[in-house]
Amino acid sequence: MKKIGSLLGLGVLTLLLGACGAPGRGSAAQTPAVREFFAMDTFMSVQVWGAGGEAAAAALQTETVRLEGLFSRARAESDITRLNARAGDGTQVPLSPETVQVLAAAGEVRRAVGGTFDVTVAPVMDLWGFGAGGTGCRVPDPQALSRCLALVDGGKLETGDGWARLEEPGMEADLGGIAKGYTAGRLVELLGEYEVSSALLNLGTSTIAAVGARPDGTPWRVALRDPRQEEGQIMVLALSDRILSTSGGYERFFEADGSIYHHILDPRTGWPAGSGLLSVTVVAEDGALSDVLSTALYVLGPEAAVDLWRTAGDFECVLCQTDGVVLVTEGLEDQMTFGGEDYGYTCEIVRR
Amino acid sequence: MGTPVRSSAADRPGPRLWDGAVVLAVLIAAGALFWWLRPAGGGALTLTIRLDGAVAAAYDMTAPGVPETISIDAPWPLWLERSGNRVRVAQSSCPGRDCVHTGWIGRAGEQIICLPNKLIISLTGGQDTSTDNFDVIAG
Repeated sequence: MKKIGSLLGLGVLTLLLGACGAPGRGSAAQTPAVREFFAMDTFMSVQVWGAGGEAAAAALQTETVRLEGLFSRARAESDITRLNARAGDGTQVPLSPETVQVLAAAGEVRRAVGGTFDVTVAPVMDLWGFGAGGTGCRVPDPQALSRCLALVDGGKLETGDGWARLEEPGMEADLGGIAKGYTAGRLVELLGEYEVSSALLNLGTSTIAAVGARPDGTPWRVALRDPRQEEGQIMVLALSDRILSTSGGYERFFEADGSIYHHILDPRTGWPAGSGLLSVTVVAEDGALSDVLSTALYVLGPEAAVDLWRTAGDFECVLCQTDGVVLVTEGLEDQMTFGGEDYGYTCEIVRR
Repeated sequence: MGTPVRSSAADRPGPRLWDGAVVLAVLIAAGALFWWLRPAGGGALTLTIRLDGAVAAAYDMTAPGVPETISIDAPWPLWLERSGNRVRVAQSSCPGRDCVHTGWIGRAGEQIICLPNKLIISLTGGQDTSTDNFDVIAG
């Protein structure tokens, strides 16, 4: 009997010895549930840790596809397609609560950033060929640009209880600058309904949600790509429970007559923004806000962007300037490991 | 004062052959368990090309004979260029050419995406990247 007891004890010891130092294949704490899929004109990857990881990851994919079905201009039955189709006829188009919420949020930010972000820029995007499903980019004819620019006015996008309306015929809304950020926020909310410990949601590299902490308990480490050299990183940010959005003109662009034209258009002029920035990264709790501001600050330029940060208080940002200076707002100072000196950048902390 | 208590072990002569065998068995079993529970991943750096969800091709980047150029027969044809362990989309007939603009990738976990083609070019395996100083790249 004693011998059996000893053997059992030794068996337990064996398990403990074997498990020591072997950080867990098959362990729920270490192995995330992963889903990778195309949605919202990009490739997304979600990783979720915890006992409910598999169910949560599946739900995240389903929810993303559902929201895409509401927001996409390329879907014939989407909320946005229906809204655009009734532009100028006075109809209060019935929409899902999510779509109204996104349109209303976009309108609020538009006013705060002086029109440097505007969801009604869609006709101009299409004219340049940057719109979803575009078959090629080109520098537009100035007269055509002028005609399209006259249709860009977010002040003529009205929202109400369960409806929205575009006042002028030919106006079109496009949620490309806010949809992924909003979706990231919605997915983070959704994770709260499952037994999960942490998650890393990569909605096309421009929007990242860092939920909880890494399995070892430390914050998630999000590297910011060097806008000038694709293989470099200018810094790493340690983030927990934050959504990060990045905008830059370095991935979607075309060359014509020796000039480079990128896809971040200034809604006030209809031309690619040239405000002295290579990229803008915004970190906030609110995904829609971080997404919109990453575009708006890029258009605004460094001085106005810093002014906005000083008055707002609900976001932090990294502004990578064309002169190689990287401005980092003070709220990110302790979370940042700067590596840009290897690529010719210098870092300055911006204080309130 | 009570009678001093002697344990039964104290009456036993030194370690017996059976004890040694048990200790040896425990160590062997622990070693096997350690190997079985080792972190997954590793292996050779592998280039995988997935087209519309299906694996179109895969190459061990460390093996000899990986071509310098790889042509991909996609809706918008494109071709890849390899240099050492790095790879990039050198030319693409897709509308936006975002895949070309992504540039070179050379480390496990990096990807190039071509949305019009629903194409994913990814590097996996290779050296353990857990010592890298980041979990994800934004940009």
